[in-house]
Amino acid sequence: MQLDLDIHATLRSGKRRFDLQVQCTSGSQRIALYGPSGAGKSMTLKAIAGLFTPDAGHIRLNGRTLFDAAAGINLAPQQRNVAYLFQDYALFPHLTVRQNVGFGLARGWFNPRAREKLAKVEHWLGAFGLQELAHQYPDELSGGQRQRVALARALVAEPAALLLDEPFAALDPALRVSMRLELSQWQEQLGVPMIVITHDPEDARILGDHVLYLRDGRIDQQQATLHEVNIG
Amino acid sequence: MRLTSAARLLGAALLITAATSAMAGEVVVSAAASLTNAFKDAAQSYEAQYPGSKVSLNFAASGVLLQQIVKGAPVDVFASADQETMDTAQKQGLVLPAERHDFVSNSLVLIVPSDSKLAIKNLNDLTQKNVTRVAIANPASVPVGRYAEGALKKANLWDGVQAKAIGTQNVRQSLDYVARGEVDAGFVYGTDAAIMKDKVKVVYEVPLEAPVLYPIATIKGSANALEAKRFVSYLQTAQAQAILAKYGFKKP
Amino acid sequence: MEIAWTALALSLKVAAWATALNLLLGIATGYLLARTRFPGRELLDALLTLPMVMPPTVLGYYLLVLLGRRGTLGVWLQEHFGINLIFTWQGAVIAATIVAFPLVFKPARAAFEAVDGQLEQAARVLGIAEVAIFFRVTLPLAWRGILAGVLLGFVRALGEFGATLMVAGSIPGKTQTLSVAVYEAVQAGQDDTANTLVLITSAVCIVVLLAAGKLAPGRIVHK
Repeated sequence: MQLDLDIHATLRSGKRRFDLQVQCTSGSQRIALYGPSGAGKSMTLKAIAGLFTPDAGHIRLNGRTLFDAAAGINLAPQQRNVAYLFQDYALFPHLTVRQNVGFGLARGWFNPRAREKLAKVEHWLGAFGLQELAHQYPDELSGGQRQRVALARALVAEPAALLLDEPFAALDPALRVSMRLELSQWQEQLGVPMIVITHDPEDARILGDHVLYLRDGRIDQQQATLHEVNIG
Repeated sequence: MRLTSAARLLGAALLITAATSAMAGEVVVSAAASLTNAFKDAAQSYEAQYPGSKVSLNFAASGVLLQQIVKGAPVDVFASADQETMDTAQKQGLVLPAERHDFVSNSLVLIVPSDSKLAIKNLNDLTQKNVTRVAIANPASVPVGRYAEGALKKANLWDGVQAKAIGTQNVRQSLDYVARGEVDAGFVYGTDAAIMKDKVKVVYEVPLEAPVLYPIATIKGSANALEAKRFVSYLQTAQAQAILAKYGFKKP
Repeated sequence: MEIAWTALALSLKVAAWATALNLLLGIATGYLLARTRFPGRELLDALLTLPMVMPPTVLGYYLLVLLGRRGTLGVWLQEHFGINLIFTWQGAVIAATIVAFPLVFKPARAAFEAVDGQLEQAARVLGIAEVAIFFRVTLPLAWRGILAGVLLGFVRALGEFGATLMVAGSIPGKTQTLSVAVYEAVQAGQDDTANTLVLITSAVCIVVLLAAGKLAPGRIVHK
């Protein structure tokens, strides 16, 4: 993955003001955005996905310009071909696991039918061990199961990058450790480029080859050089 | 136990309020809608003549007023626009024959909007193709509607005109629709047409078999029998007659 | 009771049309106000809610003045389409629609606001077009709230009286709805007719309310 990011944004809420200024160039397959809460990690990730529009700058992924304020380019999220995993997974509560996973494949005005079985969907259900749960609804699943459904849903679309927003925040510590390892293994297996944001140092260590430190909307360069590790 | 005494207290409070208002020499007069302007003036004049007295006026179609009295409304005087309504009241024992008499007469007229371009000069003209809407008050409860229906039936025009009839709740609503130009023509009393001289014009005075006579009566067993009688008598005085004449009401 | 069945049929027709119109208008405005932000948004919400608090006769008067033969809109309609809405059942539909609109629009807005915006975001990232997102995610999650409003709007339209009387008049078979028929029967002392009409209206309302109860949220049972 080739990520070229340089964004500026100013947010005002009453008397408070938040300035986001993040620059990053990376060829890593596993980027981690690490920092305390309120540092601007989520905003940065959303900007890449197209869910947030910065005031200025540009975002290029694998040579493709997703956003360029000066040139007036701002691709809609639908067109960016990235996958975004929300903190609480954002599974569609009115659809079964199977329908959720197949959601992105149906392009029209209708959701995939509950009994419809598509090859791609079945493949990913199998990859994440979700076949038994395929007919169930999100509110019947555990946290870990929901995360897997969210991942399967995201990967079905074969995205250029997988963006994960605090993927383990909703899980208890024990589960966290095992899911983290699983995610690391999946990512290696599938070879999908990944950007993870987290406030947990262990997450950053295990899931990030290139770790970016964010604090108060800015990248802390010193920390970055100290901890940058290249894994062959 | 608590509830009952609270209810008693409330009941007593309501009674006292009602009694005090009745004691202030108030008389409730239900009068046909066409009497609105005339009776308002007459009531003012009456109150000036008898300081301390109070006239509460209630205007609607005669049939509506009748139903209110039938269902127990505390009315002292009833003035309707036709004999039929008063006859029904009498039949139901609500008024005494001795207390009833005709006090004014009126005319039935056909009116059109003052800017009307249609050639309507008589009842027959209402059957023309370009006359699409005619305001006729609901005959079931409004005297003027009954008068109109009677006249049209006599002229064998009822079926043709009824198809174009826009039923209204009272004579004033018919008048309003004509004044607004929402209908091509309407049936009202001569006195109503006079009130909106600038917006409607009378094209035909409808001859009727029996004249339009308004009866007035005091309601049997009303709370303010004396006041009621006094008000009715007042309407016979020269002063009151002048007011009624001013609005176009004629002697019975 | 010939008059009763005609009045019932007419009331149902008028209420059905008014509700259909309000379904479209209510969903559109509810969605717009729930999902977009613009200066004066709440003012617009208040204006759209006005028919609910305004006395129906006042509303009827405004409509009469606006749609009448000399009204701005009335003249325009007459010139361009040759139609006059006063004293027609279509006029009754307009009156009923306006009166019942807030009852449909407000629950619709609340229902849309209750849908987690993040779900729509998720659908966007998955590549689904905006319109498709509305039909596949937003509406399915909001429809129960919307339906509750629609049913309320329906019974309101069914019982509309004040504005209807002014705008549509009372023409048996054409604009004499159930409420108007009851009013006139009482005025004419026809208590039997009035009683029949009242019973029919009550029965219809109870049926609708029972239907609404079946659709109440909390009854969703996942398989």
